[in-house]
This record gives sequence, structure tokens and C-alpha cells, in this order.
Amino acid sequence: MKKVLIFMMLGLAFSGCNNQVNEQGSPYRVTDISLPEGLGGQVGGLAFLPDGRLAACFSSGEVMFYDPKKQTWHLYATGLHDPLGILAISKDTVVVMQRPELTRIIDNNNDGKADEYQTLTDDFGISGNYHEFAYGPVRDKAGNLYIALNAASPNGGVMKEVRGKLNPLTMDHPKEMYSPVPYRGWVMKYTFDGKLLPYASGFRSPNGLLIDTSDNLYVTDNQGDWVPTSTLYLVKKNHFYGHPASLVWKKNWRNGNPYKLPVCRLDSMRTKAIVLFPQGIIASSPSQPVIDYTHGQFGPFAGQIFVGEMDIPRIVRVMTEEINGHLQGACTPFLDGDSLHKGNNRLAFAPDGSLWVGQNDHGWAGHRGIQRISFTGKTPLDILRMHLTATGFDLTFTLPLHGDGITDVKHYKLRHYNYHYSSKYGSDLFHVKDVPITSIRISADHKTVSLKLDTIVPEMIYELTLSNIRSEHDEVLKQKIICYTVNQLNPKQD
Amino acid sequence: MKISVAGLNIFTIAIFIFFQRCTTGPQSGNNHHDSTVHIRIKALQGLRYNVVRFKVQPGADVKVTLTNMDDMDHNLVFTKPGKRKDVLGSAMQLGTKGPEMHYVPASSNVLWHITTLKPGDSQSITFTAPEKKGTYPYVCTYPGHGLTMYGVMYVTDKVLPPLKNDPNVPNTGKNPMAAHVHGSEKQQLHPYHLAAPYLIRTFMPGCGPAAIAVSLPDSLSYCWDAGSCSLRYAWTGAFLKKADLWQRKGNEVAQIAGSLFFKTRVNYPLRIGSKKNKPDVKFKGYHLVNQYPEFHYQMNGLDVYELIKSRPDGSGIDCHFRIPEANKPMEYIIAPANKEIIDASAGKRVNSALEFSAEQAHHFTISIIKKTT
Repeated sequence: MKKVLIFMMLGLAFSGCNNQVNEQGSPYRVTDISLPEGLGGQVGGLAFLPDGRLAACFSSGEVMFYDPKKQTWHLYATGLHDPLGILAISKDTVVVMQRPELTRIIDNNNDGKADEYQTLTDDFGISGNYHEFAYGPVRDKAGNLYIALNAASPNGGVMKEVRGKLNPLTMDHPKEMYSPVPYRGWVMKYTFDGKLLPYASGFRSPNGLLIDTSDNLYVTDNQGDWVPTSTLYLVKKNHFYGHPASLVWKKNWRNGNPYKLPVCRLDSMRTKAIVLFPQGIIASSPSQPVIDYTHGQFGPFAGQIFVGEMDIPRIVRVMTEEINGHLQGACTPFLDGDSLHKGNNRLAFAPDGSLWVGQNDHGWAGHRGIQRISFTGKTPLDILRMHLTATGFDLTFTLPLHGDGITDVKHYKLRHYNYHYSSKYGSDLFHVKDVPITSIRISADHKTVSLKLDTIVPEMIYELTLSNIRSEHDEVLKQKIICYTVNQLNPKQD
Repeated sequence: MKISVAGLNIFTIAIFIFFQRCTTGPQSGNNHHDSTVHIRIKALQGLRYNVVRFKVQPGADVKVTLTNMDDMDHNLVFTKPGKRKDVLGSAMQLGTKGPEMHYVPASSNVLWHITTLKPGDSQSITFTAPEKKGTYPYVCTYPGHGLTMYGVMYVTDKVLPPLKNDPNVPNTGKNPMAAHVHGSEKQQLHPYHLAAPYLIRTFMPGCGPAAIAVSLPDSLSYCWDAGSCSLRYAWTGAFLKKADLWQRKGNEVAQIAGSLFFKTRVNYPLRIGSKKNKPDVKFKGYHLVNQYPEFHYQMNGLDVYELIKSRPDGSGIDCHFRIPEANKPMEYIIAPANKEIIDASAGKRVNSALEFSAEQAHHFTISIIKKTT
């Protein structure tokens, strides 16, 4: 057996690193990380170990460690069932969310290879439906873990044998995702004392969880039935986020088939997204959100959220603010194309402040592999913050702007729209209207532009397209589209 | 075994038949101007159209119907010859206007199109094929789809090139259901050499969804169910086929690549004391002992360990049980149909069960032997 292990490790020891450098002077550099030969490279999870190595799990069942200094791969564990999330605990322990269970994987004998696979919990159902992915875990300060369970797809059936009690209530709807076994469409809490508890319901395909340092839990969801455009939710205990299938597992649920409830009733029950990602404009299939705690190592966006996108080569940036006691905010493309691939399924910040991205496709749009995005030190011209005021929006830029024509309304095209919550897959744009900007001011430091509007309508997305904006040193604004989800109006006169 | 899988196979056959019909083309006969040629295309899982090419005569009246069988949006855009990638590029540049324009750029390179269809929706267009012979691509311009999701309309009266050599169709259309055999040299699926014993957790036939497939030395394999906490079946020969479900959406199960020699007829075999009821079981994981998994679960709270190995002479498998805290007699139930179970290291055979004392239950082995025929 030892011989086999040595063979494996030797096989993985050689691996180079192909540098793909962007054009000279770019604020960010995207580098491909070479994978060992034979690894498909569909990334299910990325995390950094305390010793600085990357721990990656792959859809093909492996957990592998990558040493960024030596640029070598090391095989840690094998045989997992479609793992889609990893938490790095120590050099000899990781926790992985695989399809059937949450597993702690340990190397007891310190030979570098896992020998113990402890089932932390499998107290949730699996019907065998292909779409029943399991996401997470993320950990709060108290040590509780949170996972998310995808609903089942109407394009697939269930197995003859399922795990968990089968509930046929939502299964007879040919176009809607369903919840045949317990807690499909839920976010679950795994308590530090070992119990798995239902936490929040109403999710469709929640391929991304994040906990910030204040223990706020964020979850993304993917556009489809009952999710008119993709979302970022702030998830709170016992709240319902809109996809009805999961409701059949709500404690003391006595309302029968949730699909038969009036839409207005479901609409009134749900907690809305703090940020909507307009479909095809900002994101089509958002994945994992991560927060920038690099204190500037990754550039000027400290404290903001970065979200992967599967369908196009893009990373999305999200900025939130508290308005009227509620979190809401804006989203904008962060990085588009160049050397970045699509299929950006998993993100993790390295100890050196670079952002590592793992790609996946799994039969959908996507890519395979791992890329590293690092800040070169050159500040990009970008919108640092979009702030809702009582009368419009303040845009704060990362760099002082060139004054020429900066207050000319022709550089700012603003419109609003929203989406319709229903069983239909996705939604058209509703209430599309160009919004006139009545006046534009620029701050004394030339960093903040204030747009004044006649009226601001709540429950609308405000989509702003900028043109010909440049910095005082002639850098050009590359990301010209930003979308603010106005749930609450700002009552404060700034 | 599984309705959806059976359905998938029939569906695949149907595609194949339809595909044959389209590529050879009934429209290649005479009188093509008398009636409209109707091409039915389905958008399928895995970013592909089921029809990757078809042939029409110059000037033919053509009706194309797209039905979206996938679980996400798709469109279909015909372009001028050689302009597929240009049109894809223009579609990517639409920015905020993309959704409203169905990702169809206003370009002279676009000939005809079907708008964005939601899952389950269908739409038809009719047009007159160009008089100019050539290859007219069609492509899904929904963001991220077009690199693999395309096909080609041949406007010609000639015979088409063999499909496998056709540069105008995507590779997914040439060999959509390639089989990958685990443990063979055909395709490397992992970055290391797999040498038995090793395990793969995946969806398996005839098992619950938390299945564990294990490859043992001597060309022996078994499937252990982490749901019922028991051995479901064992086989001899090659290990698995199509276990790489992660390559696709995974609306399928792996297949065993050898022949079955044991399939349990018992829901769960162990009983505590004189109780005839099935105990509650709870899977706790496994430990690798010289790479062999020793499964751990609790039976009514009592820790049970099961480690399965090939018999030393390769004649079958030995299931080594450990129940260190056993303090009551146990029974191991054997269904009358399971004649493969012929041996046990201890215990007394009484009718259809093996009886163990509490002491014997601390450590015992059940042997399952292949029939020699």
C-alpha cells in the first residue's frame, strides 16, 4: 500500500505554472494554476489551510492541497460524492460538503493522506434527483456550520429508494423545482454540538454561502421558477426566501401544496433579496460570495463582496449599505474576460490577499481549472460606492475624476425596472422607464458625483450606465454598468 | 430500476433515430419545392442541440422548430457562412440590452432567429433557404452557451461528409454518450493511478442514493449503502462504467462493469437479542485500514464496524464485523434465496439466521462465496 502512496505523490510532485500576464499596467493580473495531469479540474470547493496551502475539492471526488510557493500538488483524499464545499480546519483536517453528507476528513497518522472520514451529519434527504446539490459549509464565530440544499429539478425524477421521507406534494409540477425529501430548498444549521436544524426556507439553487465577521449569513440563488432574477439574500432564522417547494418541510405546515397558494400570499411571506443581479446584465448564474478582508492587499474594495459567475467570464462586485435599518446595495462587474475564464464556481482569498477562483461546468455553461487574481498595486478607476440619498445617488470613485464635462447629464444614462415573482422561469423586465437626472454635482475632491432625481421608486432596480468617465490622470472607467436594488428609500436628508 | 434512467435511454434512442433521419434527410428526394421542410430541434442538457446538422436544397422552404428541453434558457440564431463566432462576439457586446434583444445582435450576419425560450417552451420560424450553396451555422447566443451549442444547415444537393469528420459540428454532437470505464486505461479520470482497494461514492443502481462502491483486489467489487448501513451486492470482473457523473449534470447512475454474484434479499441483516424488529441504524463514516474502508455505524446506539475484503483465495468476500460493546446475543439474518452466504467464523446456523453469543458478536466474519459455475 505504501508503494502506491509514494507513486501517487511522485506523480503529483512535478507541475509548473503558466503565467498569463494581462496587458501592461492592469490593476489585476489573472494567472492560471497548473493542475496535475489527469485531473479534470471541476472545482467544488476552495479554502486556505492555516499553513498557507490551498485545499481544493473537485467534482471527481478528490481533495488536493496545493503549495503556492513550491507550486506542487498533493493528494489528500479521494472518492467523495460530488463535493461542493470545503472548510479548512488544520493541516490534517478539512470538512467537506458532499452530496450525501457533511464529512470531517482527518489524517490521523500524519502520512499526508486522509484515513478517517467522519460523517458529521446526513440528517437530510436525498432522492437521487440530479439537481440535489449540497453547498457549504460556512462557519460562524460560535462554531456552528451552515449548509444549503438544492431543490430537485423537474427535468429529473427520483430514485426508487430515497433517503428521508418522500413527500409527493410538490412533485407533480412539470416546470417547477420540487422538494421530494426533507429540507430540499433549505439552509440548514449544523450546531457545534452536532445537530442539524432547519434554518431558513425558500431556496431554489443556492450555490453560494458566506458568513461575514459579524455573523451575517449571505446566500446567492439562481434565476428560474420563483426566482425572477438571481439574488443575494441576507439569511435570517426562520425566514422564507420565495421558492415555495421547501415549505412542505416547514414545521406544522398545514397549507397543503404550497404551489396552490395565491402568489400574493407567497409574495407577502417572503423576505426579499438585498441585492438583485439583473439577468444577462450583471449575472446569469451567480455562485459563491466572498468578502474582501485583505485590508487593501486586493485593491480598494475592502469589505465588499465578490461573487463568481458561471455563464460568462466575470466576477461580480457587490457593495451594501444600511438604509432605514435594512441592508441593500448595488452590483457591478468587477473583472470581465481577458484571461479570466467562465464557470467561476468557487472563490477564496489567499493569505497574500490574492483571490483564487475555481471553475466548474458540470454539464452547464462553465469551464474547468483554477485561476489566481492578484492586485498589481495600480488602482483601477472604478465606482467604489453607490449610495442612495434622499434625492438620488452618490457615486464615489476610487480616483479623482477629470473635471471636463463630468457634470454633463449625457454621461449618465439611468433607467429603472423590476421583475415579476411567479412560477414562470425567470421574468421579463417590468416598469422599464428611463429616469431623468435633474442635476449633477461633483465634490471638491472630485471623487464623488451626486445625481439628483425627481422621484425614487422603491422595489425597483436602478441601472446606471456611464460613458466617457476618466480620472484626472486619464485612466478610463472600464466597468460602466452598476445596478442598485432599491428596497428601502433613504429618509435622511444628507 | 430507476424510472428516469430508463426514460433517458429511450430518449437517447429516439434522438439517435431522429438524428439519422435528419442527417440523411428525407428532403433530399425530389419535389422539395412542393412542401416545407420541417426541422425539429431540441435544446438539451449539456449545452447542445440534438440536431447538429441538416441538409436542405437551395431555395427550399424551411420551417425550424426549437423546443427547449433543458432547465435553462436558450435561443437559436442562423448566421451567414463563417460568421458564427462573429455573431457570438456581437451578442456578448449587447450589455444591458442583451435580455430584451434575446441576445440577438442587430447585425447583417444574422439571417433568422428564434428568441430566448424558457424551459419547456417551443417556437417555430419559417424561411426560404438561400439560393447560394454553403454551410449556414446556427448557434445559441445566450451568454456562455455558444462555444459548444451550435450546428449547421447545409444548403446543398450533395452528400454530406461523414459526421465524425465534419468540422462544422461540435464534438458533443459527434459522440454524445461516450462511456468511461473506471479502472481501465481508456480514459484517465483522476490524477493518480487507481489500484484496488479504493472506493468511489456515487449513485449506484439498486441501492439508496448514499451509495459507496468499493473495488477490491482479485477483480471483486461491492456496493455498500450508507443509508441502510449494509452490503447491498457484490460483483466480479471490472469495477464501474459511467461513474464519472460529474462530467455531466448527473441525471443517471453509474453501472457495474462486471457480473453480480451476490445481492442481499435482507433489508438489514443484524438483530439484537431476541428482537425481530430491524434496529435503527445511523451511519458514522469510515476509516481506511490499509486502504480498505472499515465502515462505522450505530445500531440502536451500539457501535458497529464492518470491513470487507477479498477472501485469500479470491473465491468471494469476507465481511469482518466488530461490535466491541456487544452485551447481548445477536442474529445475522440470511434470506433463503441468499445461498451464497455459506460460511461464518462463529455462530450457530438456525434456519435462516446465524446466532452469535454476546462474546462471539465482538468479532465475527461472514463469508460470501461466488458460485463456481
